Order: sequence, then structure tokens, then C-alpha cells
Amino acid sequence: MVGPIYIIALALGLAFFLGFFGKSLKTFSGFVMLAGLAGMTFISGQWLMAFVDGSATTQEIFTAGFKPPFSINLRMGIEEATFTFMINVIGLLGGIYLFNRLKEVGNSAMSVFIVLIMSLNVIVMTRDIFNLFVFVEIGSIATAGMIILDKTSKSLQAGLKYLLATGVISGLLLIGIIFAYYFAGSLNIDGIIAANLMASKAGAVAVFLIIAVLVLELKPFPANGWGLDVYESSNPGFGAIVSAGTATAGLFVLYKVLPMGGDAWYQYISIIGLITFVGSNLVGTQQKIANRLLGYSSIGQIGLVMTVIGLQPILGDAFAFIAFALLLNHFLAKAGLFWISGIIKKENITDWSALRKNSALLIMFVIFIFALIGFPPFPSFFGKYELIMSLISSDNIWVAVVILIGSFAEGIYMFRWLGHVLKNENSEEEVLDIPWNKFIPIVLVTVSLLAAGFYSVPFVAGANYFYFVPLAFILFLGLIDFLPAYIKNTVSIAGMGYYSWLLYPLVEGDLMRTIFFAIFMFGGILTLVVGYNKSGKREGFYPVALMMYAGLATIVTTDNMFGFFFGWELMTAGSYFLIIRGKRSKPHAYSYMLFSVAGAYLILLGFGLAHASGQTQALIALKDISVLPTLAYTLLAVGFMTKTASLGLHIWLPGAHGEAESDVSPMVSAVLLKAGVFGLMLLFLYMGEQTGDTLLFILGWVGAFTALVGNLAASFQEDAKRMLAYSSIGQLGYILFAIAMMTQLGWLAGFTYVINHFLFKAILFMVVGGIVVKAGTHNLYQMGGLIKKMPLSFLAVLIAMITMAGLPPLSGFAGKWLFYNAVILKGWYIQGVIVFFAGTIAFLYAFKLLHSIFLGQLKDNHRNLKEISPSILIPVYILIAGIFYFSAFPQDVLEPIGNMLANYFPSTLEWAADGNAVTILSNWNGNAVMIIIISMFVLVLGYLWLITGKTQKLEQFNIVYSAERPFRPETTHVSHNMFAGLNKAIGFLVAPGITNFWNNVSKMVLDFAGVVRRLYSGNGQVYAIHIIIYIVVFYLISIG
Amino acid sequence: MEYVIMTTGFALAIFGLYGLLSQKNLIKIIIGFSIFTTGINIVMVAIGYVRGGIAPILDNEGISQIAAQKSIVDPVPQALVLTSIVIGLGVTALMLAYVMKLYQDKKSLNINDYKNLKW
Amino acid sequence: MGKKTLIVLLMVAMAAVLYPLYESYQGSEQLTELGQYYADNGVQDTGAANLVTSVVVTYRGLDTLGEVTILFLAASVISFFLSFKKEDRKESREIRNITEILTTASQVLIPMIYMLGVYIFVNGHLTPGGGFQGGAVIASGTLLMFLSNPDFKLSHKVIHYVESTSGVVFVLIGVLGIFMAGGFLDNRILGLGEVNTLFSAGAIPVIYTFLGLKVGTELSNVLGIFVESQNEQ
Repeated sequence: MVGPIYIIALALGLAFFLGFFGKSLKTFSGFVMLAGLAGMTFISGQWLMAFVDGSATTQEIFTAGFKPPFSINLRMGIEEATFTFMINVIGLLGGIYLFNRLKEVGNSAMSVFIVLIMSLNVIVMTRDIFNLFVFVEIGSIATAGMIILDKTSKSLQAGLKYLLATGVISGLLLIGIIFAYYFAGSLNIDGIIAANLMASKAGAVAVFLIIAVLVLELKPFPANGWGLDVYESSNPGFGAIVSAGTATAGLFVLYKVLPMGGDAWYQYISIIGLITFVGSNLVGTQQKIANRLLGYSSIGQIGLVMTVIGLQPILGDAFAFIAFALLLNHFLAKAGLFWISGIIKKENITDWSALRKNSALLIMFVIFIFALIGFPPFPSFFGKYELIMSLISSDNIWVAVVILIGSFAEGIYMFRWLGHVLKNENSEEEVLDIPWNKFIPIVLVTVSLLAAGFYSVPFVAGANYFYFVPLAFILFLGLIDFLPAYIKNTVSIAGMGYYSWLLYPLVEGDLMRTIFFAIFMFGGILTLVVGYNKSGKREGFYPVALMMYAGLATIVTTDNMFGFFFGWELMTAGSYFLIIRGKRSKPHAYSYMLFSVAGAYLILLGFGLAHASGQTQALIALKDISVLPTLAYTLLAVGFMTKTASLGLHIWLPGAHGEAESDVSPMVSAVLLKAGVFGLMLLFLYMGEQTGDTLLFILGWVGAFTALVGNLAASFQEDAKRMLAYSSIGQLGYILFAIAMMTQLGWLAGFTYVINHFLFKAILFMVVGGIVVKAGTHNLYQMGGLIKKMPLSFLAVLIAMITMAGLPPLSGFAGKWLFYNAVILKGWYIQGVIVFFAGTIAFLYAFKLLHSIFLGQLKDNHRNLKEISPSILIPVYILIAGIFYFSAFPQDVLEPIGNMLANYFPSTLEWAADGNAVTILSNWNGNAVMIIIISMFVLVLGYLWLITGKTQKLEQFNIVYSAERPFRPETTHVSHNMFAGLNKAIGFLVAPGITNFWNNVSKMVLDFAGVVRRLYSGNGQVYAIHIIIYIVVFYLISIG
Repeated sequence: MEYVIMTTGFALAIFGLYGLLSQKNLIKIIIGFSIFTTGINIVMVAIGYVRGGIAPILDNEGISQIAAQKSIVDPVPQALVLTSIVIGLGVTALMLAYVMKLYQDKKSLNINDYKNLKW
Repeated sequence: MGKKTLIVLLMVAMAAVLYPLYESYQGSEQLTELGQYYADNGVQDTGAANLVTSVVVTYRGLDTLGEVTILFLAASVISFFLSFKKEDRKESREIRNITEILTTASQVLIPMIYMLGVYIFVNGHLTPGGGFQGGAVIASGTLLMFLSNPDFKLSHKVIHYVESTSGVVFVLIGVLGIFMAGGFLDNRILGLGEVNTLFSAGAIPVIYTFLGLKVGTELSNVLGIFVESQNEQ
């Protein structure tokens, strides 16, 4: 094998050699440089492979032929091989990316570039502290040169600031090194470690200076203004090198040198890392300039890895995987983002919508963003999961909490950015120029990122390669995205059908899972059928829709917490993309995502506590949590409630569901919301009534108020889809209330609501969505009289409304009957009254919706409307058949559920042989009621039909006040401000207090970030002062 | 003697740092930096001093090798300081080049005028 | 002034941080283990009478290669500036008249300075000095040239050739060490010779010669670029 020393010889030899050409032969020189970088990559790559297959052992390379400490030695072990390989790969790809720019500047720029990469290699390999210093300086000077690659005034300023800062830093390092030599008598790192300098105060100061400086090289918050300026002003192609390459080397050095300081230092490093991770991301929330934002994110991510390095003694065996997964993830994703930035060439993130002009680039951008936030299936997801689990198991909950806060802050700006990219206006004239040499490196890091996720599986308990099967299908759908929508729709339905068949054995025998499985998969297929009425390609729709369903399927079939969380995050990602497809969905999808991410982190913490108690990833760990049980159950409940949109956490829902596309609304409303319910049910069953006594009581109240506020707000809506969205909040309130009772009847009611809500909300959103598209408006008062144009739609909405309002004979009544029995038996009278009141309000909006759309007079512009498409009506009528079946034979479904629930709760419901349901309070027979009511209905309908022939027809708005036509005729429409009186009486209940609360929270965070970032005054000298203050404060904390 | 050198070294480093942090003129800042690194270099040399030692060159005209081995100063810090000086030179040259270019850009040597990048 | 006071306070704090180091320094009565090894074995190992040189060129040869690289980088980066866009051209630089004394004296001095530089690096293994020192002296000769003749232009071609050749040779000698001796940059690829003669210490004089040339040309180059970019305006 080629010795590692040749990395240095090759790079320097070529760098010097390029000088021969002076200013000529630039292209040739460029290829010489790339060949050199490729050679370096090859050398470290072959060592890496040898270490991986076990054919090599750690090598010590003695320069000058003398043993250390007498001469400088380098080391090549598996760690060094990995890190040099990463650095050389980024060097090679970065060199390809920057090829044209380097060529323009000249051969000397190529020399500087290759020397920079070489210096990072030596920094990783050397075992001599002074040699480390020399090559750190080489790196700094080369960096100072590369900063001005673009030759702008800003980059000049940044370069000078960088030089001043690193000058001060390296001076202090030198003092540390010379005194380390004075005390240890050696410059060899291992020799200094062996000398244990920490024993004396002065020795400790020397170690302090060395480590503190190496930390400062990693640009810790807040002493990092100079680093941010570099990211902002330099060529993004070089930003990638700094963020991925330099930082990787710097982290490795820290890892290498840290044993000098002993145990205490690990703790300091983890704290510094945490402050950097949270601080940098928090300040980043105010940032609008893309490259600077990437700088904040880079520094944050490096802080996270620094934290992990500091946590090494705590993490034990898991350390290597966690640190490497997080580092590699940052390394690949950040390089990719910087490279994309270099293609887009837009300073402000609000202008990044230009990215949409190239869908491949757009997809890769999305992948990088999701990888950074830690979504599956990327390595950071696995790393972060392991990290949180290990931290909580080792009693470091607060560290886990802080890490998740930092991660959330990163989500704040990353998803805002993504929203701009996906939804902002896009000017047509500009063309995106994508040279292949800039495109290929981005593709390569994307592929590596996906592969790295795949290879993370064996390192995490509970992870399974099977989770990648649906992802492969999604990838396939992405590849056939150029086909027309109906083909992809068919493929998707077939895929889901096959996958359901494949997964069914996993839920078979577990009734609760089977019900949710049916809702998710069957509901999913039905909502996909609706998609047949869409023409064109629907670019990007099918992969994300299937991603959501894959996540739901994973949640309901998995038996361990990791799988659940994997599915949960997958579902969140998929649904986010579905929601943001709506025309005005940008802010709503954003708040949906933030609530979801926050909720997911709460769930993760809860899982961590469960894992810490049970020492297993199996879901059974949720039973009898012994570590902080109240906290754990509360976190989990609140986490799941972000998805069920319970009061206080609901503000994302109306916009997200209301603005979504017509077939997305039923997906996210009828199907997706049930994921939260499934989580809550699972949680409650494991928790049990005893443990969760207080929590359940509170949740009962929350459920009651959610029902009230949701329904009330629905009745005041003028927008048809928003009304349905608010109605979902109310319905989910019922469900929460019902299952919080923790009795057999309560849960039966809960299940009935779950099934009903799925059925009728899917119908309503499908039909109303179809009508809204046809009518061209969401506003109820701009519709009317559509009953004649769309009789089938009317009938469907009528049936759904009857179900929703809980009127006999349909299954809504079954829910209500069970519900009141349950409330009375439980004794939650006051809450019960609130829910009852909410139920009456449900009548109001049910009537409003039905009346405004279908009754009254037809609008002029709707004269030519036709019935909505059969691709909507077919699934709708399938669902209606479901309602009738469930209404007529409730015992078929409810009896097995009741029996299952009897395992958990005392049985209070009997089923008579004729289908009569009996409680100690009353009884009810679904099919008898059905027969009676339907016959009455038919009679009345027939009578009405007979007498309608005599009515006189009125034209629209033929109303005249005192010979004047009203100025805005629609205000005279009955559904305009229909319940004004009610609004006056109790409308304050739905005043946007909660929305205001969350707005204020976010404003406070942003204001805080705005104040903190004033630290970065722009003055290079001030940044040098920051460094000295940092050193002094750090000293006072660690030694003084 | 060595204490005087050591004290001088530290004092220069601190004063140089003060200049670097407090002066507004870019050239003066760079002078501060030079003083700072010079101070550190002096500290390094002082570390290598051995009482009564002579320069570590073992030629015939000096003293015999055996005696010399007992009475030379440590060659290591001297070698290090050479490297450190060269590095300082490189950094200083680069800083001056930057300042020259910045001055051509804005006709100012005041560091407060170069705050285009912030927050 | 608030800021000045803050900086003074910071300096006091910084002094307090460094004080334990200062306090612990007690002077040395004897060499460190490492220094002692060099004193005992340095001459036998490398054949150089000047122990500093043996440490610089051989034992810590990689550092020295790094140093050369730093100068090389500085020169390369500074040359970027030359190609910077020149937006506002000013009237050309005002040049003071060169006195007769300077012109005449420089004609005598410059060759002598160059010779002194060469002497310093060639004898680096015997006497104080070496490649860097010699190179710096050579560059000072170049500086004198610029002072005495403002129109003087360095030939970039020559500079690049000398610089590149010496750099590449340095690396190649280092690589030869791997094959012919103990490792990268081992000076024992040539016979060690008799201590205290010019042709001794193995490859050290060769290395120092190329080093001297490289440093001399690089520093001259930096000076040249500074002068040139001034003249542009």
C-alpha cells in the first residue's frame, strides 16, 4: 500500500510544481491539481478499506527515521483513515466544483487549494503538538487566501478579520505548547498526555490554552463572528470546504488532544458544544442571508458534534456511532447546501424559489434540509435517536432537552427557508445555469447521505432494514415522476395495496391496530382514488403522499419505539409536503411543521425515559415507566396531542387543512389525525388509569374545551374548508375526552368516533373539496342552490352531516349514546355538559354548511356547473356504504372492540342476541333504529316531493330595499355571518388568544435572537476582543 | 537573566495584544500583532535557556563535545522559534496585503469603516 | 472611554490567566530529556555540528517543510491580489528622487549581500543560520534593489522556476529518505561525512541550499508584488 506520508509529498510536490507554469497552461494545471487530490483520496481510501476489512493495523510513521519524541510521527489508524478520506473526498469534489473559479484566479490558487487539503490531512494524522500548530497555521493562511477567491470587498474584510482572529488564537496556542514542552519535556501528544500536566496548576493552564484554542478554531458561540463572516462572504464552494473539511479536521484534533485534560475537560467541552449548538441556531433564526445562515447552521452542527465528543465518557460504546453519524450527516448535507448556494447565487433566502427551476436540485435541497434536522432515513436521525436514548439512560436528561431545543431552533429557520423555496414567486426570465462539474458533486453527496442512512441500521436497537422497503418504492415513484398522474396514481394504489397485504399479518389479531391499520391503509387508498380527477403530472405528489402512508403503516405495525418514531417522523415529513402543496399554505405548513417537530421531540424524550426505565426498545417499555413517570407520560401525551390538534396546540390545523388541495384535505384530516389518536390510545393503555390519574383528568378537560372551541369556531367560519377543519378539532376533542375517561364505554365511544370521523370527514372533505374547485371559491356565501346541479354531492353531505351531528339512525348516534352512558358512569358531569353543549353547536355548522352550499338560490356564475367527478363520488359512496353498515350493524364492530377492551377495563356493556346494546342505564339497537327512521325519512321525502311542484321560483338576489339594491348583496346572504348573535354572546371563547400566545412566544424568541446577534458588530477587532473574553471566562469557569 | 527575558516576553505579548485590540488604525493593529508574536517568541527562547549554557553548536573551536553536552542550551525551542518567526512573517505579510487592498477599496485605514458584514 | 477600560481590564485578566505559567518558570539547570537526547546523539545521528540545524532540518523536518509551505502560501495568496479588479485608477505613485549615494552604494552592496546570504545557508549545518536566515538576507538584497531602482522588475519566470525547482527538490529529497534511509526527510541519504566540514551532515547542506533559494525567491517575490501593486495605481 502507498504510505500516508505520500499524501504530503504528493500534495506539496504538485503545489510547488504548479509554479513552473506561471500563468500559462491553466487547464492542464487544473487537471494536475485534481489528479493530486484524487491520488490523496486514493491513498487514504485504500487505507480505510484495509482497516475496514481488517487487513491492516494501525501504523506509526516516523519521519526522518527517528522514533518519537525525537522526531515527528504521524499515525494512520482506522480513525485517521476515515477522517483523511472524508477530507480528501471533499477536497476532490470541492476541487471539481471550484474548477473554473480556480482556473480563473490562476495556478497559485490551485496550489493554495491543494495545500489546504493537505494541511487538513496532516492535522488529522500528526501526533506532534507543534507540528499540529504548524499545519493549523498552514490551514489558516490557505483559508485566508481562499476567502478572497471571489475578490469582493466583503471577502477582503472577512479575510482580514479571519487573520486577526486566528493570529490571536495561534499566539495563545504557542504559549500553551511551549509550556507544555517545558513541563512534559516532550512535544509528542502521547508524551504530554502521559506526563499528566493537569497535576499542577501551571500545567493545567498550559493544557487549558491548547484545548481552548483548538475549541476556538471550531468557532464556538459567541466568539465566532469572524467565522460567520467567512461563511457569508467567501465563495460557497469554499464555504463547503470550511464547513465540511476544516471543521471535520478540527473536531478530530479536539478528540485527539482532549485526553490531555482528563475527565473534567470532557464536561467543559460538552457544555461549550451545547452553548454553541443552541446559541448559534437561536441567533440563526433571525438570519435572511443564505450563506450566513448556512454558517450559523454549520457552527451549530459542529457544536453538536463537540458536545458528543465531550460526552464520550458517558456514551461509552455508542460514542463512535453517534459522533460519526452526526458528523457525517453534517459533512455531506452542509457541503451539498453550500454547493447548491453556489449555483443559485441568491443572497437572500426569500429569493431562493429559483431552485424550483430544477427539480433534481430541489429534491436534493430538501434532502439536505431534512437530514440536518434529523429526519429519517438520514444518519442524523439514527445518531440523534441513539444520543437521546443514551443521554436519558445515563441520567443526563437536561442535556437531551437542550440538544432538542437547539435542534428545534435549527428547524425554525430551515423550514422557513424551505417554505420560501417551495412557495415564493418565481421570476420566469432567469435561467438556472447548472454546469455539470457543479452538479455531480451534489449528486454524489446526496447518494452518500442516503447510503449512510441505510448503513446506520445495525447500530441502533430496533432499527430494521425493512423500513427502507417503502422508501425504495417512494424513490421509484420519484423516478417515474415524469409520467401522467393517472399512471402514477394506479402505481401508488397498487403499491399501497400490496404493502397493506404484506403488512397485514403484523396487525392480525390485535384489534386496535387492525382498526387503525384499516383506517390508514384503506383510507389511504380511497383518498388516492380521488386523485384520478386531477389532470397533468402532479409533480412530486405521489412520493410524498406515499411517504406519509408509509410512516402511518410503520407506526401501526411496529412493536418498538424506534420503529414508531421512525414512522412518526416519516409521516410528518410526508404530510408536510402534502400540506404545503396548497396555494396559500406556506405559513400553515410552516406552523404545522414546527408543532410537529416540537411534538416529535417531546415523544422522543418520553421514549427516552421509557427506555431508561425498561432498558428495552420494545413498546412494552411504556408500561410502568419508573424514571420520572409523570413527566414521561405528560411529554408523550402532549407530543401526541400536537397531531390531534388539541386546544392550545391546534392553531396550525385550520390553515393547514383548509388550504390544502381538495384530495389532500381528506388525507390529512380523516386519516392523518388518527395517528395522534393511535399514539394516545397506545399510551393510555400502557399507562393505565392509576398512574395517569391527574393527567387523564386534565386531558379530559382539555378534550371538552377543544370540542367546544373547535365547534364554535367552525360555526363562525365563512370558508367551507376551514369550517370542516375546525370541525375536526372539535371532533378530536370528543375523542380525547372519551378515551381520557378510561372506561370501557368511554373507549368504545372513542373508537366509534374514530371510525365515524374517518368516514364522514373523508366524505365531507372530498365532496366539499370537489365543489370548491368547481365553484371557484371557498366562501360559503358565494355558493348556494347547488342541490339541483349536484344532487349526489348533496346526498353525501347530508348523510355525513347526520352522522356527524350524532342523529339517529346513523352511527354518530351510536357514538353519542355510548358517550353519554360513559360520562354518567364516570361522573364527569361538568365536562360532560360542556361536550354536550359543543354537540349542539355542531348542529349549527352542519346546518350552515348544508344550507349555504346546496339550498337557497343558485349564483349566476354557477349556472353551468355539473356534478363533481365520479372519481370523487365513487370513494365517497363507498364510505357512505361503510356508514350504513356501521350504523345498521354496530355490534359487528363494537362487540369485538368491547371484548378487547374488557382486557383493560371492567365491562359495563352487554350485547343481546338481537343486536341490542345494554348498559345499566339504557339500551339501544342499531338496526331497529335504522329501519324505523329510514322508513319515516322515505315517507316524508315522498310527501315533500309531491308538494314541491307548486312552489314559485325566485331569482338570485331579487331583493330590493326601498327601491334600492343592496351595495354588497352577499351580505344579505343568509350564511354571511350566520350566527352573529351567538358570536356576540360567546364568541370571546374563540378569540384568537391562543394564536396570539404562540405568536408572542415566537416573537420573543426572534427578538431575543435579534438582540443577541448584535454581538456580531462587524468589527474585526471586536471579534478579537470576544476571543479574549471567551478565553478569560472559560478560564474562570474551568480553572480559576 | 532568564527571568528578565521571560518577563519581557510576557509583557510584550500583553502589550502587543492591547495594541491589537485597542488601536483603530489597521497598520497599528498589525504592529500590535507583531509585538504580540515577538513577545511569544521571546518567551519560547527563554524556556529553552539553561543556566550557563552556550549556543548548541558542537564545533571544535568551542568546547569539547563531552563538556558541551552538559552546557548547551536546549536546541528544541530554538528550532521552534525559528518556525514561529517564519509563520509570524507569513501572517504579517498577508495582513499587510489585505490592508493595502482594503485601503485601495475605501481609502480608509480605520477598522470601524469595515463593517459591511455583520449579524 | 468605556471600551479602552474594558480592554485594559481584559489585559489584566489575560495576564492573570498567564500568570501561573510565568510563576512556574524557574529557569533550567539542565536540559529536558528531549534536549539531552539531541545533545548526546544529535551529532552522531545527523552529522551536523549545529544542533539547531539538525533539529530543524532532520528531526523536525516536517515542520520545516511546513514553514516553507507557509511562505509559499503567503506569496501565492499575495499574488491573488495582483489580479484583483482595479476599479479606480489613481495617478501613479509619487516617487522620491533616489540619491546618488543609495544608487552607488547598492551596486557594491547588493552582490555582497547575496553572497552573505548564500554563505549563511550553505554553512547552516556548521554555523548559526540556515536556509531561512540566508533566504531572508537574499531578500533584503532584493529590497535594496527596489529602493535604489524603482523601475526594477523581477522576472516572474525566473522566480517561479527557482522557487518551484527548489520546492520540488526539497520534497523529492524527503521522499528519497523513505527509500534510502529511515524515513521521510531523513538526511542520511548522503554520507554523513566528517563533522564540522562543509561536505558533511548528509543531505542537510543540500536541503538548506534549496531552502535558502526558495525562501530568498519567495520573499523577493512578495516584495516584488507589493511594489508592483503599488505601481499599478
